[in-house]
Amino acid sequence: MTSLVDVPASAQTATRPSAPRRRRGQTLPFVLLLLGPSAVLILVFIVLPAVYGLWLSLTNTQLTGFAARDPKFVGLDNYTYLLTSADFLNSLGQTGTFLLFSAIIGQTVLGMVAAILLSRPWIRGKGFFGAAVLMPMVVPEVVASLTWASVLATSPEGTLNRVTNAFGGEPTAWLQTAPMLAIILVNIWRGLAFAMIMFQAALEDVPAELIEAARVDGARAVQVFRHVTLPLIRGPVFLYLLLTTISTVGVFGLVYFLTRGGPGGQTRIAAIYIYERALQFSQVGIGSAASIILLVIVLVLGAVYVRLAKVEV
Amino acid sequence: MKRTNVVAAFTASVVVAAGLTGCSSGGGDGSDGPVTITIMETKQTNIDAIGKEIPGFEAEMAEQGKDIKVELIADVLTDEQFMTKMTQQLIAGQAPDVLDIGENMAISWSSAGYLAPLDDYLNEWDGWSHYYPAVKEAMTRQDGQVYSLPSGAGVLNLFYRKDILTELGVDTTQPETWDDLIARLVEVKEKTGDTPIVIPAGTAWGGGTWGEGFMPLLGGTDTEFYDTETDTWDLESPGWLAVFELYDDLVSNGLMPVEDLQNPNPWEPTKYEKFPEGEIQVAAQGTWGWKFDWGPDGATPIEGLEEKVSTWQFPGLRSGDEPYGWSSTGGGYAISEDSEKKEAAWEFIKYLSTGEPLAEQLVASGAASARDDLDDVAPYSEEPQLLQAGKDLGESVFVVTGDGAAQIGQAVASATELILSGEADGQQAYDAFVKDATDLLGPTLVKE
Amino acid sequence: MTTLDSRTAAPVLNVRRRRRLRPVDVAQRTIGYVLIVLLALFCLVPFAWVVLSAVDADAGATVQIPAFSFDNFIRFFTASGTPLLLINSLVIAIASTALNLALGIAGGYALSRFAFPGRRLFMFGILLIRVIPAPATIVALYLIMVNLGLANTLHGLIIVQAVSGLPVTLWLMKGTVDAVPVELEEAAWTDGNTRLQAVRRIVLPLIGPGLGAAAMLMFMGSWGDFLTPLVMLQNQDLYPLAIGLFRAFSERNVIDWGLLAASAVIYVLPPAVLYMLVRKHLLKSSLGGALKG
Repeated sequence: MTSLVDVPASAQTATRPSAPRRRRGQTLPFVLLLLGPSAVLILVFIVLPAVYGLWLSLTNTQLTGFAARDPKFVGLDNYTYLLTSADFLNSLGQTGTFLLFSAIIGQTVLGMVAAILLSRPWIRGKGFFGAAVLMPMVVPEVVASLTWASVLATSPEGTLNRVTNAFGGEPTAWLQTAPMLAIILVNIWRGLAFAMIMFQAALEDVPAELIEAARVDGARAVQVFRHVTLPLIRGPVFLYLLLTTISTVGVFGLVYFLTRGGPGGQTRIAAIYIYERALQFSQVGIGSAASIILLVIVLVLGAVYVRLAKVEV
Repeated sequence: MKRTNVVAAFTASVVVAAGLTGCSSGGGDGSDGPVTITIMETKQTNIDAIGKEIPGFEAEMAEQGKDIKVELIADVLTDEQFMTKMTQQLIAGQAPDVLDIGENMAISWSSAGYLAPLDDYLNEWDGWSHYYPAVKEAMTRQDGQVYSLPSGAGVLNLFYRKDILTELGVDTTQPETWDDLIARLVEVKEKTGDTPIVIPAGTAWGGGTWGEGFMPLLGGTDTEFYDTETDTWDLESPGWLAVFELYDDLVSNGLMPVEDLQNPNPWEPTKYEKFPEGEIQVAAQGTWGWKFDWGPDGATPIEGLEEKVSTWQFPGLRSGDEPYGWSSTGGGYAISEDSEKKEAAWEFIKYLSTGEPLAEQLVASGAASARDDLDDVAPYSEEPQLLQAGKDLGESVFVVTGDGAAQIGQAVASATELILSGEADGQQAYDAFVKDATDLLGPTLVKE
Repeated sequence: MTTLDSRTAAPVLNVRRRRRLRPVDVAQRTIGYVLIVLLALFCLVPFAWVVLSAVDADAGATVQIPAFSFDNFIRFFTASGTPLLLINSLVIAIASTALNLALGIAGGYALSRFAFPGRRLFMFGILLIRVIPAPATIVALYLIMVNLGLANTLHGLIIVQAVSGLPVTLWLMKGTVDAVPVELEEAAWTDGNTRLQAVRRIVLPLIGPGLGAAAMLMFMGSWGDFLTPLVMLQNQDLYPLAIGLFRAFSERNVIDWGLLAASAVIYVLPPAVLYMLVRKHLLKSSLGGALKG
């Protein structure tokens, strides 16, 4: 750090926003020092696993059995196995259902409702309601699952059962008879705050004059929303869809804690499938191939969203 | 900074080398200095049993002039959790010195090279000559070496609630065939509305579906499903389909607790709740049930166990099959390959496998002796069921398998899961199994 | 959670409105309140069990009127394994946040002040990295950790967590430092300060909000992390609260519900406390700005 003192005074006074170019020769060591460690660590702990995972997916690596001693390169065999495996395809299907209903529909709609309601000037208690909706998002995953374990409890005193009882329903073992529904509910609960936050910010950016103008023209609230607000917040909505897709596809603990992928593999979403294959069955090659497939799907979805968002802008 | 590291490393190694040469006047393997070995146990009864034996061992070692201490790592885990966790520790070189493992684990880990071969130690030990030949055969892995020393052996068969069946007026003599038994189970179901029998099935039961459910049923009707000459699995062998169809029969007649079997830890609502309550009347179970599961210190004790519960051999499945017991051994104590205290670890294993310490462990977990010289040793000598199991061991069936057992177990679990969920019948489950197993095993392990 | 009587509330707001409230508006507002109340209930009700059972001496698996007592909390702190869980969680989260912030401030400063070649690529690159779901790389990462000798160690886990939070922190810090005018630093230089002194005196105090946001995000990310410790740690003495709760819950038959609920409450507290402390420094705009960027 002593080299900093040596920068001549004349160079200092000449510094302007564009000036760094003049000192390019001297900035490089700074950049290396300040950013270098981060770059190296990111390379080793984030990029390298992805690359290594890709390599592993092309081998028959296992953690146990004879294959563990001597992993062989098997090319695309793992991929063909997975893409023709009913188990894996089921898992992808479940992930898709989970994603569609909890994130794309559930969180977005409810988050939007909350955002709209909390932006209404006539609502009292915004702070309280906002905090209430925020709670599920800020607690740790494991606690979120734990709270729902009680709600979904099988006995008649389970919270959900009491609610359905009030409407004349029978006590149900939710995690047995409707496991996918249960985890969708939990994920909606968990993620709607994030949607609300993003949409609140977006709604604020909608110029009030446009809304007033539409109102004056006689448009009802719903029409105002559809034709004025929605097009203007399209960008943030797609950004949200992208972000929630990424995070929902990566959900593991929330579901694993409650169901461990069961019963009978009905909630074995992709992340759980990968964990089971790679670590419980020690099939690292197959687990890595499944990971890559998952990654590709996320990238494709991301590209789709970006496309759709750009069309308007 | 790099240079100082190299210098530091060099200095350190010089110091260490000097230290070692200084100590080498005694034995070269550290048996003179104080040594602490670690052993891991994952079942409460074993934790208690080993805990009791440690002081005696340390005292005996002290008498021999060896300073060996034992650290017991107690972590109650299911077999699945243990397999996952220990595999990770073995790869990372962080496994305990002594491991207490099951057969599947012995096969998977020895094939991968994580366990130390014990043959040299065994051949020097006179205790080894007292082990039953059938047990020795079961312990020998594909490469001809032995990697674990069984702590006990058991016989797997069917435990049933004699008291309840008698009360219901159902025949309690040994059923000769599965058709006979199924007819009786249907009778029980009609009288009580229960699902009378539980046999491990499905993915939630993990490796137990194969080890304690499917394999015993398969081995009793077909011993050719694994070819030891070519070290391959014969998936075309007729027994496979027969057993899948048996599972299908049991499920389609509504005799198995399908819902419980599809949930995590399925042995709990079934063997630990409904069987003691009498809502499941027949359970596939091994000798250890007398102590480990339902004994007075077991997981869920059944009062008056000896009067209420009795055992049947597995009935014959296909025509011409005789009832049989399935011999369960193949696991036991092993030493991790990366351990630096193998000598000390072996001392401990020897101690645990001889005389009174062995007898105490067998009684605690409910296993029969794998040695022929234990029948007069108390407290083992005072347990009639265990002594009987020891005799049954001589007549029970066993099939030695090799690499790929874990994959077969996985494929069997998935295929039986299809039966449980009603998605497949016996034939379809079998077809799915063949495809899955072939994929998982790879071409080298499947018989042409 | 009291339901509001919307009819009496509406007229009070009349003062601000130019138009008088039509029945349509009243209906709209009623529906609005009903909806937001239902939403709030939906969000809060599941917590009822945790809160009630934590102070219930005979807690069960379902919501019941508690036999009020702090027994469960006492048992948490006196039982043999449980306080260690809390300590591990604290150590891991604090250390990884510290490491993350240290790297993030330095890196963010560099990204902001130096227009080096490849800067855009780097920013875009780390954004792209965020697309990768954690379960997809965890196994490969684990094997790499084994090779580095970092598997099953607390410091290994701390490094992994700190680094996985780096992309977000770097973006946040760059944005925050960008907002500090270069002229201020330059003025400090002309006053004879070294670059480092200028940073310490000028930049650091001004990046408080961004720093707070980054610290919150990182701490909460580490605190709630389940998958990474599950895969990386095998030693019981190293487990954080997340894994401890999971193990306790998956016992299934012999679950001590009261202790579990108390543990959950204890688990939730530290982030809440941190939020209280940091709240003053958080500005919504810095978060929103970073998100939009």
